[in-house]
Amino acid sequence: MAATIVGVFQPEMQNLIKDSKILLVGAGGIGCEVLKNLVLTGFSDLEVIDLDTIEVSNLNRQFLFNKQSVGKAKSHVARESVLKFNPNVNIKSYLGNIMDQNYDASFFSRFKLVINALDNKKARAHVNRMCLSVDIPLIESGTMGYSGQVEFIKKGVSLCYECLPKPEPKSYPMCTIRNTPKEPIHCIIWAKFLFNQLFGESSLDDVSMEVNEKDDLPKISAREWSIKNNYDPTKMFKKIFIDDIQYLLNMKDLFKNKRTEPILMSESILKEDYADYSHESDLKILDLFQYISMFKDSIVKIKNKLDLTNGKNLVWDKDDDDFMNFIVSCTNLRSNIFGIPLKSHFDIKSMAGNIIPAIATANAIIAGQIVIHALRALSKNYERCQSVFLRAKPNHKGAILVKDKKLESPNPNCFVCSVHGELILRLDTTRITVRQLDELILKKKLNMVLPDVMADNRILISSNEDDELDLYSFSLNKIQVVHGSRLKVDDYFQNYSVIIMIHHKEKATDEQPDFEIFNNMEDLRKRDEQLIAEENAKIVQETYDCVIEEFEKDDYRVDKVKPTYGSIRNEQTDTDMMETIDSEHEVSDAKESLTDSGDQEVSNEEILALKRKSGNEEETSEPKKSRFDE
Amino acid sequence: MSDVKPRMNGDGGMSVEEKKVYDRQIRLWGHDGQNKLRTMKVLLIGMQGLGAEIAKNLILAGINSITLKDHTDVSILDRCSQFLIPHDSQERNRAKASIIAAQLLNPNVKVSADTTPIEDNDESFITSFDVVIATECSPLIYRKLSDECRKSKVKLFIADVYGLFGYFYQDLNFKLNLYDTVFPFDDQNNIVPIIKNKPPTYVLASALLKFQLDFHRKPNPDTSEKDIEELKAIIDSISPDEECIKPDYFNEYYCELFCELSPSTSIVGAVVAQNAINSIMGNLVEGYNMFFYDHYEHEGKFHAI
Ligand SMILES: [Zn+2]
Repeated sequence: MAATIVGVFQPEMQNLIKDSKILLVGAGGIGCEVLKNLVLTGFSDLEVIDLDTIEVSNLNRQFLFNKQSVGKAKSHVARESVLKFNPNVNIKSYLGNIMDQNYDASFFSRFKLVINALDNKKARAHVNRMCLSVDIPLIESGTMGYSGQVEFIKKGVSLCYECLPKPEPKSYPMCTIRNTPKEPIHCIIWAKFLFNQLFGESSLDDVSMEVNEKDDLPKISAREWSIKNNYDPTKMFKKIFIDDIQYLLNMKDLFKNKRTEPILMSESILKEDYADYSHESDLKILDLFQYISMFKDSIVKIKNKLDLTNGKNLVWDKDDDDFMNFIVSCTNLRSNIFGIPLKSHFDIKSMAGNIIPAIATANAIIAGQIVIHALRALSKNYERCQSVFLRAKPNHKGAILVKDKKLESPNPNCFVCSVHGELILRLDTTRITVRQLDELILKKKLNMVLPDVMADNRILISSNEDDELDLYSFSLNKIQVVHGSRLKVDDYFQNYSVIIMIHHKEKATDEQPDFEIFNNMEDLRKRDEQLIAEENAKIVQETYDCVIEEFEKDDYRVDKVKPTYGSIRNEQTDTDMMETIDSEHEVSDAKESLTDSGDQEVSNEEILALKRKSGNEEETSEPKKSRFDE
Repeated sequence: MSDVKPRMNGDGGMSVEEKKVYDRQIRLWGHDGQNKLRTMKVLLIGMQGLGAEIAKNLILAGINSITLKDHTDVSILDRCSQFLIPHDSQERNRAKASIIAAQLLNPNVKVSADTTPIEDNDESFITSFDVVIATECSPLIYRKLSDECRKSKVKLFIADVYGLFGYFYQDLNFKLNLYDTVFPFDDQNNIVPIIKNKPPTYVLASALLKFQLDFHRKPNPDTSEKDIEELKAIIDSISPDEECIKPDYFNEYYCELFCELSPSTSIVGAVVAQNAINSIMGNLVEGYNMFFYDHYEHEGKFHAI
């Protein structure tokens, strides 16, 4: 190990390397490479945490693992593998979630430096706040495909992870998904919803099969209908791909443009013979009869899996072949009806699983740069810890690794790292409930873990389960949270507090977002000016009556995002596309733990940044029944 | 997993199992790219830390075969970056000591060890490879390899890491300058670089190569102080009064030029491997024959020299 050999490093650096205790969060693609580099460089007091187990699709890059280690905990196997080439290091490995309360401020404060090798924003934001609160320097990293980045974060010295707004996930209008799909992705999202309704935990509107033969009868859900019919594949096929389409066709005004009108399949198709598909390449587009067979087979197989759960739900997983066959067949059957081009199994899996490509070399480059940054950071040479970007292709000067000119100073208005964090929250106080404030805004949007909320010395939300406040179902105005109210929000676990100013704005149209967050009044005004400008320019945008977020992609900046400190909006239109990138490592929170490394999926919770057309008083975690004629 | 029999499925003969392992990269470079990789035969000369990194990246990617060639013995300095040699290995030869861990990275790749010095092989030896990658050789061997590979149209990389600094030369489309045009030699086999309009990293690389020719070794941590003085003298001799290079520009570097250090082997080894992969897939950005990793500037940059 380099630091144990006299003369390799200057004595001061040698001692810093030998004596510094480092926490590595994530033992995935970047994590494996970082652990190797740290140990070879001579760091000998390390702790590594990851909540994932090893999967076959990790093996093209996570070189500390092999076939024999599939299914085992990444952190433990990574530790054992590294000890093979150097047994003289002290490595402690944890199988766990870094957002767990075991890993509190006193846990973090034991380290000289923390390195993030994570794959999701939520955990990154959390580690950012923990490191700020105990003033431990943090190195943040990510890769996607050929590209990547390394950033240094230190309280009061650099930008923090949350100083600049992150690109928002792409979202799709729910009505397009349900009624008027135009692209393959619309059918894929629909198929995933359908899966959750039929077999999983559905917290969403039904996308199909609301059964109301007569208007005066109570509706039953798709799940209930399926159970009643014992998941009969032929009946389900007829219901989903014939009857539901007929229902849509009966709706007036839905298809003003004939071109987008679905084409009804003849019921005679139900009598066709079984068409084998089992030997087809996943790159090939099959014929309709093969997809029908695939659909029916998948229904039977998934139903069997559902029966084995003893009344529980199935969790969608792109690596389950039956689940994928369900998605592929549903997507292509629906695409066929709506005149949308069909896609191969391979392509549908990419989109449905939101699979982010990942290679060993990009991870190795980023991991090397992380350790260079670690050496600079430990010797307090902060000005040389500028952000470094790995480019997929050389720039005009031939560079693929490019640094920022200087370390960027903190954003003085950052709602996380500035002294007096303050945010403006614009919403309709008559529509947003306390539960929505807690779950959608504070936890999901603002990445808090255990928020407490006070207004005028009254407790509105408490992280202490013993406090039975029971205010969740009230809209904010009912509990005197109105325009001008100041909410004091504290997360003691993250040692993070922020003042939230309530700015009431009536939700007049459906296109309007449920809530918007601004760093200051100026940003709010700018946003309004922009809206007016858009209106005047008559930018025709699709009506987003019910926007869903496709998935939470991670942020990545190839080129600097200008520090506008703008609004954090809860929706994004197609025209707002920014380059987003996911990084690649494996610690994610429990709800995201179904994902494979480097991949993020549409989980129910993420989908549920749902702009509801009506009924905002409803609690957000309750499924809301929809009607086709909404 | 074990009950899935490999079956041909029209994707170039990749088994279902291979497709699962390579899934995340196939989604980047496609099935065609992966199939080209599966035919790629590599000769890798030099199994210190940089060699280990290059081997790891190529084996993980799923090339056809790699020959790990090194006639030298494992040294204590390998501990700085050679992660393929187990701490309790009884094997003295570097290539042989690396082979078990290298093969474990991917059973689909043919990995072999070769302990013959490259200078003992005849000219036809390299022709059975698509790519030759050389590290830790004398500049004279590099010059010879450059000529031979150009003649046989075998793609060539010559890479070295000194401490945290690293660089490589590449000859991929057989059009740009040969190695001894980039680093010119005089009649006495001394390197006489022409540094006008060249980046400082080129001057540093030239000085390090010259050091190697003069002393038949790289700078060494045992003799660090003396070696730093020698290097300074070499730089002064090759860049007299050059206004483009600040006199103390290199001072920052000197303390981090010993051994092959892991952060830099990780970076340079990955860029070499990725460029080798790209060259086989036909994805290469043309027009560059040199790459320098400048650890002071956090810059990794291609040049045409
Ligand atoms: Zn900040």
